[in-house]
Amino acid sequence: MQEIDTEIKDLIAKVIEKEPDEIDPNARFAEDLGVDSMMALEILAAIEKKYKITIPEEKLMQFTTLNETVKIAKEFLDKKDA
Amino acid sequence: MPDLDIEEIRKILPQRYPFLMIDRVLELEAGKKIVALKNVSFNEEYFSGHFPEQPIMPGILIIEAMAQASIILFYGSQNSEQNKKLSYYLGSVKVRFLHPVIPGDQLKITIEPLKMLSNAGIVKARAAVGDKEIAVGEISFMAKENTP
Repeated sequence: MQEIDTEIKDLIAKVIEKEPDEIDPNARFAEDLGVDSMMALEILAAIEKKYKITIPEEKLMQFTTLNETVKIAKEFLDKKDA
Repeated sequence: MPDLDIEEIRKILPQRYPFLMIDRVLELEAGKKIVALKNVSFNEEYFSGHFPEQPIMPGILIIEAMAQASIILFYGSQNSEQNKKLSYYLGSVKVRFLHPVIPGDQLKITIEPLKMLSNAGIVKARAAVGDKEIAVGEISFMAKENTP
């Protein structure tokens, strides 16, 4: 599953226009990385597109760090495979 | 398929002259698709300066027309009670321009949602004149309640 972590990190980096190395897995999106609600939505949409999954709107609130985002993506990927 | 005329459009869009960039809605499928028209006339004010020797519609105004069509699509998928006091903000725009738009052109704008939430959306936007694709891209925006 390491691959997904890297993929999602790259994808977030692209949306928020930072280098992947600048994104610490536990850095807080809003406070540390300057991610606003619009960027969070774009991250969600990019993940949905890449993995062909659908993540409900309520989950957007839980996109708080890279680690949390990966966790949610994996949760919905598992549901898709199940 | 509803066809919204300018009166109905004016009820939805908060923009007014000289910034109302949609003249008619040809197709509106709630939450799925909108096809809208913007007629481009030589009388548009900006042509006197853009450019004096060669009138070309500014690309940002094509984006504005796309954004306004997106608002109508967004509006159609919300409950109307909460719609009344909203302002709309662009989040990001990625648009490629393929051909210039000149006086006499009729811009046909097609918007399809990539992700629509209760207060925001990301859409795929296309503009064409006749069969010719003019601009394609992605627009994200959000709606916020006006502060009283």
